Amino acid sequence: MSEPSAVGAAAARVGATLDGVFATVARVRDASARCLGEVRGAGRAPVSADLAALGPLLSAHLGPLVCGLGFIAAPGLLADAAWYLEWWQTGPGGAPSRLLRDLNPESSALYDYTGWEWFTGPASGAEKTVCGPYVDYFCSDEYVLTLSAPVRVGGAFAGVAAADVFARTFENEIVPALREIPAPAFVVNAPGRVMASNTARWTPGAAYRGRPGFAARPCGDLSLSLVTAG
Amino acid sequence: MDSADSADSARLVVFAPVDNTARVHAVVRRLADAIALGLLADGEQLPSEAELAGRLGVSTVTLREALMALRQQGLIETRRGRGGGSFVQAPARPFDLDERLLPLTLEELRDLGDHYAAIAGAAARLAALRSLPGDVERLRRSLEEMAEAGSGAGSVAGSGAGSDAGSDAGSGSGSDAGLRRLDGRFHLEVAAASQSARLTREEIRLQADIGPLIWAVHDDPAHRGRVRAEHAEIARAIEAGDDVRARDVAESHVANAVEHLLERRLTL
Repeated sequence: MSEPSAVGAAAARVGATLDGVFATVARVRDASARCLGEVRGAGRAPVSADLAALGPLLSAHLGPLVCGLGFIAAPGLLADAAWYLEWWQTGPGGAPSRLLRDLNPESSALYDYTGWEWFTGPASGAEKTVCGPYVDYFCSDEYVLTLSAPVRVGGAFAGVAAADVFARTFENEIVPALREIPAPAFVVNAPGRVMASNTARWTPGAAYRGRPGFAARPCGDLSLSLVTAG
Repeated sequence: MDSADSADSARLVVFAPVDNTARVHAVVRRLADAIALGLLADGEQLPSEAELAGRLGVSTVTLREALMALRQQGLIETRRGRGGGSFVQAPARPFDLDERLLPLTLEELRDLGDHYAAIAGAAARLAALRSLPGDVERLRRSLEEMAEAGSGAGSVAGSGAGSDAGSDAGSGSGSDAGLRRLDGRFHLEVAAASQSARLTREEIRLQADIGPLIWAVHDDPAHRGRVRAEHAEIARAIEAGDDVRARDVAESHVANAVEHLLERRLTL
């Protein structure tokens, strides 16, 4: 059975939008690996100040799509901080600002970031992880998607390169293509969270657990599905 | 210079900035509570003035006044230069529930509880409707960590008087503070599982307002069993997708603590 062209076009739109963000994540991944590799090459252990070199790259790639961007160190990677992230986000006035956060898990139960999917995915070897939408009370208090990739130095996992996209930004990018589909249609992430939709019956944030009469097809090589009814 | 002009100046008064003192006081109380409870640990560096002001939603002028008051109370220390900033100093005096309750009327306490119960109940209901296994896993992990932390906590709860034994007692025992952090995190995770950023932000705001009072009740060994059972039941109802039950338990979880605060207030 051939699928309607609008469905294929919407799936392609989802893939292209997220691939664009992953291209930015890949630049952060490569720059982080290079930065850490150079420090190792100089014969010393990296410290948090070494990662400040990423600042210009990170702030330059914030924009209409990406609202937060950075490198999150695997615990124990740095000699001077067990927990660290070099993270830039779009400030309230629209200008890039660095997130300053004391990340000692002893002082807050929220700061152990190793349990988040955007960290566990890359840590267990996934090259592309799409997490969310979820309420990000760790960084922004906003409803966001986080796309992440592993950073490896000398073959060993050193941390995560990641980018945040506001859920509303993603929705604005995708919904025009979904509206071309003449049936209820929505995009869900791997666990089943609705990411964008053309129907009020399935709003972003709803849980989709499969349903008779609904068909799911993948979006590119990402672990997301475009679900259509009827 | 006629009546229109005087009407204008009257309007200017109406729209003049609200007394800044109340805001300064609110910031001082929130940070002082967090320090007294050990939520902000001894020696911990506070975020930069700009970030702290932004997160608290106050001007930097207001924030600076609040930091000055905290410095005078000896709750923070400010160091200049590179590596400088404001650092928490554990207080000599533990959190005093009665002192915090005294200025509040029963009506104010009840209203604060009504507001928190409404937010917590709505969040739990939506979490039950929208949770996926990953969300429930997070709640379960927090419950397990609370069970571990709880087994060593409770040594100094409520015994402010006569407890001048040492600096380690200043902010309650370490495991008490750990338990409060996990309690706060659990409820934050429930709110986030609702998928509503607004409800989550409101949960954060209300935890800062009424959290210290509620945790003072929860710290009491007499309440530990009830609190643990309510947390477990909230998680179970969310996992089962039972939205009505999740809301009911989350509401009564707040209401039970507030009832004890009201009774306590009446003894003062």
